[in-house]
Amino acid sequence: MSKMKLCVLCCHYTNEAMPEELADIPAEIHIKRFPCSGRIEVVDILRAFEDDAEGVLVAGCERNSCHNRTGSLRAAKRVEAARELLKEIGFNPQVVQMAFVPRLDTGAFIEEVKKLFEIILKTKS
Amino acid sequence: MIIAERKPIERILQMIEPYQKIAVLGCRGCVAICSAGGDREVETLASALRLARKKQGKPLETIEETYVRQCDPEYLKPLAELKEKVEAVVSLACGVGVNLCADLYPDLKIYPGVDTTFYGANPALGEWEEKCRGCGDCIIDLTGGICPIARCAKNLLNGPCGGSQNGKCEINPDTPCVWQEVYDRLKARGELDRLTKIWPAKNWIPAGYGGPRRRVRPDLQINNKKA
Ligand code: SF4
Ligand code: SF4
Repeated sequence: MSKMKLCVLCCHYTNEAMPEELADIPAEIHIKRFPCSGRIEVVDILRAFEDDAEGVLVAGCERNSCHNRTGSLRAAKRVEAARELLKEIGFNPQVVQMAFVPRLDTGAFIEEVKKLFEIILKTKS
Repeated sequence: MIIAERKPIERILQMIEPYQKIAVLGCRGCVAICSAGGDREVETLASALRLARKKQGKPLETIEETYVRQCDPEYLKPLAELKEKVEAVVSLACGVGVNLCADLYPDLKIYPGVDTTFYGANPALGEWEEKCRGCGDCIIDLTGGICPIARCAKNLLNGPCGGSQNGKCEINPDTPCVWQEVYDRLKARGELDRLTKIWPAKNWIPAGYGGPRRRVRPDLQINNKKA
């Protein structure tokens, strides 16, 4: 069976995790970084699915710690909008997840990616 | 501006069912400003349609374009070329734009991607409210600048109905009774006497009941029919 493909959309400050640090997760993980998570659009989430991702994690800074004040809150709203659209075309909305993580805390970030992996495994069973 | 709203994707998928390659065509006018049919909505809808079709095992190819205004022939010239590259077009312009594209290119299979809903204002980010219904014979000089045709559920022209309760409309406790608003506004302006005068019956012909409306300004026309 081919490896599950996951996509992480996040800002530069959310984490600096290197691919090796995610090696424990048995999935092909693509990380796409943006200047701010508030810059992530609904279409970026949809395009990740077009590129065969089975799950997408949008990660932004914890509330109140975003450089641009409300970037990650905006990202959370985009996640909701993407879920609505995905529902409309017959996807399980759980395939997109939002996480607020402490800035540059790689450990917390990796935990969130693991959580996404578990959720996608469940949606597939 | 003209307010519109994206149609359910399922409905759009039905329209484009027979096609493998379509264009999703936005408009940078009203529909871009009300976030229903500008560049961003074009790319989002195109991606959602491709994704849905991929899931159905019937991949769809899309071209994404946005014109300055779809209600102006000048900006529709590139459509002559675009239509040769695709089997159909889903337009995110208001109904005016879709109608004009269909008039100018009768062989083009064009489908509306939005429902055109009302003329509205943008009181806050992400919110639009109906303010005018284009009745062609504006009477809001009499009502303190507030339109009872667009903003009254019953389009009443002579004061509130019995459903007006505590300043709210009976259709919904969140909807203000427009006649209460008119009254309050005129009272504050010391112009309540406007409401005691008998208004002549409103002429509804300019509202469109005399057929499709047309406006001409001969001084702007290039080829006047009558010199
Ligand atoms: S086509 Fe419709 S939405 Fe676009 S500018 Fe014209 S009136 Fe506005
Ligand atoms: S009276 Fe007619 S033109 Fe004036 S605001 Fe109301 S609907 Fe529009």
